[in-house]
Amino acid sequence: MLKKLALSTLVLASSVFAASEVNVYSVRHYDTDKKLFKMFEEKTGIKVNVVKAKGGALIKRLKSEGKNSPADVLITVDAGGLYKAKNADLLQSVESDYLTKNIAANLRDKDNKWFALTKRSRVALYKIGSGTEKMLSTYEDLADPKFKGKIVVRSSNNVYNQSLLAAMIEHHGVEYATKWAKGVVANMARTPKGNDRAQVKAVANGIGAVAIANTYYVGKMVNNKDVSQRDAIAKMKVFFPTFENGGTHINVSGAGVTKFSPNKANAIKFIEFLASSDAQELFAEANYEYPVLAGVKSSELVTSWGTFKEDTVSINALGENNAKAVKIFDIAGWK
Amino acid sequence: MKYFNKLTISSVFLTLLISIPALLILVNIFAPETENWQHLKDTVLLEYVFNSLYIMVGVAFLTTIIGFSTAYVTTMYSFTFSSFYHYALILPFAIPTYIVSYVYAGMFDMTGSITLFILKLLGKENVSEVFFMDIMSIEGAIIVMSLVLYPYVYLICKTYLISESSSIIDASRTMGLNSWQIFIKVIIPISRPAIVAGTILAVMEAVSDFGVVDYYGVSTFVTGIFRTWQGMGSIEDASKLASMLMLFIFILILLERFQRKNKRYRSSGKDFAPIAKVKLTGRKNILANILCFLPVFFGFILPFTQMSHWFILSYEDVIDEDFITLLMQTLSLGVGGSLLITILAFIFVYTVRIHKNKLSDNLTQTVKLGYTIPGAVVAVGVLSFFSIIDKAFDIFITGSILAILFGYCVRFLAISINNYESGFLKIPQSYDDACKTMNISDFARLRKVIFPLIKNSAMVSFIVVFIEIIKELPLTMILRPFNFDTLAVYSHELVGQAEVFESSVPAMFIVLLGAISVLLLARKMIKD
Repeated sequence: MLKKLALSTLVLASSVFAASEVNVYSVRHYDTDKKLFKMFEEKTGIKVNVVKAKGGALIKRLKSEGKNSPADVLITVDAGGLYKAKNADLLQSVESDYLTKNIAANLRDKDNKWFALTKRSRVALYKIGSGTEKMLSTYEDLADPKFKGKIVVRSSNNVYNQSLLAAMIEHHGVEYATKWAKGVVANMARTPKGNDRAQVKAVANGIGAVAIANTYYVGKMVNNKDVSQRDAIAKMKVFFPTFENGGTHINVSGAGVTKFSPNKANAIKFIEFLASSDAQELFAEANYEYPVLAGVKSSELVTSWGTFKEDTVSINALGENNAKAVKIFDIAGWK
Repeated sequence: MKYFNKLTISSVFLTLLISIPALLILVNIFAPETENWQHLKDTVLLEYVFNSLYIMVGVAFLTTIIGFSTAYVTTMYSFTFSSFYHYALILPFAIPTYIVSYVYAGMFDMTGSITLFILKLLGKENVSEVFFMDIMSIEGAIIVMSLVLYPYVYLICKTYLISESSSIIDASRTMGLNSWQIFIKVIIPISRPAIVAGTILAVMEAVSDFGVVDYYGVSTFVTGIFRTWQGMGSIEDASKLASMLMLFIFILILLERFQRKNKRYRSSGKDFAPIAKVKLTGRKNILANILCFLPVFFGFILPFTQMSHWFILSYEDVIDEDFITLLMQTLSLGVGGSLLITILAFIFVYTVRIHKNKLSDNLTQTVKLGYTIPGAVVAVGVLSFFSIIDKAFDIFITGSILAILFGYCVRFLAISINNYESGFLKIPQSYDDACKTMNISDFARLRKVIFPLIKNSAMVSFIVVFIEIIKELPLTMILRPFNFDTLAVYSHELVGQAEVFESSVPAMFIVLLGAISVLLLARKMIKD
């Protein structure tokens, strides 16, 4: 009762003074997030203010604003962004029993400066009935000449490709990764263009045989207004490649509390909420991402693609190797 | 006189202020060569240079051809649908480039609806079996950009041609020149400043594009800037890339000015009689209609039809209360921004004209540079600048509307300035001199002589900048305050989630707002 009273007082106070708020810089642009923020507001009475932009831009903005920054929380869509923010000393350590207990150690920063909130894996898709699945095995194998003229993948400007190569660097070193990237380029069915969905559409329509894409795009294609996307994905099946001595590549979307956060307590509450089962379920159901909280199930559709073994490379390593990965792409001529 | 000295001083101060973000980026040209830079030089830099140049040349060529020929034909001749084209030819300008690039890819790329349809007709499996030019290529990008950028050339040339005295043409006719000779020997030379002003704007816009080239998989300076910034995490090397691009454009602007000084076509301004339009019949009539129809069809009707289809399928999911707020925010930002820019540009150009002050002239040219820098890089410059100001005065401008408006000034003043510059060229210096001899006060001269003559340019500037602002994306996105969305930002977010259908809803409002402005503009031009 007392708790309820306190809460309602808080809600009242926030509506009168708008004093209780949390300011979020987010790289995520999903409708799901809008719903989540509303849920949080209703639950806690803390108003969520958001600025959305690209990762590098928000980090630059945080840096420029320095200790005047009104931001409390930074949310990114990749490990690289979290790593960069931490390295630039823009995040602070957070003490939260809930977060440390519920988010696995490899999914959070060792100094608790950031926490993963969702996972997405980068997979291969092939056309049903093409027999391609018999050829598919590891990521390393995609550089094998047997795939000549068969691989379609987007430009290396994209951070998901950069993370994949960063993981390759972590597994096998720069030299091997360079050779691998060159091998994949030699196997491409066309020069990289379009987004992940465009790759799936290409294979569905007979261009190349293997499309590389993130899992949640597959979910979004299945439930889409665009007939051409639904038709394309209906012809395709997901395959989970692995690293030779590891698992399927995953990247994370995560959040951290900014160094000069003016509403630190709210910021922690906010991140805890995003890692709560309610929020995790919504991430899973509506955006087809993999939840980080144990016990929360993936959506039925996502489960139907099968289970996979997650790669164990630390998320930090992905961020660390990102710049190297970009340079390797340049050298390999991966547009 | 004292008043105008103050004007010069404040003009110098303001131009200097607005040049700072561009200059903060430009100084990086002298930055020492880092390991990253060496890497870029060894691998991709040459490709960036080549592709950017190719796009510039390609877009300059196509926009000049389309923009000038249509401006000429609709000004000099009357034909069956000429008054329709007078309006319609500007419409492509209202559609954001990235939307057009999506529509075209959706129809004509390897798996596009029209490509698949034709393959089916031919009984082929996929494009590798037939001759196929992919729209998702550098040539495709040039075509797509030219289709929406040619209205720059069209607009500026048309305003110029309309108000250019008909006496030149009458005289040419009296001298027995035929239409073709008039076009080649008279019209093209006198229109040169207008053509160049329009083309330079189109080229600057094309070279700073990110959306189209990124989606079509073309590596340019701008994709390189983002890759180096976001991927390699080096904002210094990214700025150095940006500074190279700026330097390049700056040289272009200087060359153009140098040439213009050598060939001065200043109007005598004696005769403002409207041009007597020649009526076209028969084959010529049909040809003129086709010439004007093609750009309108490919630049507007085709993408607009596709967008409308998407709009109908998804508007119910997108339009809600928040959407109305966002619409109002976009509108006020557009009106406020373009008003500010139109006034500032007038002050700058007018100061240069009456005081012929070298410093303010040079600074005005520097201000133009902002237009060549990709919006996101301008935002970085603005952030760096305001973080200095914020720290020095212990205030907080970063993340306020003020920062956005400042960013717009940095980026879009060039459009307005170019407009005024070609407008002022038509007002002969002798008018100013006459005012002086007649002892007309500076203010009265401004109000009674200059303003009525330059009103048209001001209107064009206001509307063009308004459309630019409501289409503007990266700068607004990076500099905006909390919970502040615009139509373009929202549309982009939906595209980012690959919800292309839904993204057509905010985009449709951009197009409608743009189209209304364009129609107002065209009406204004006809009246004058």
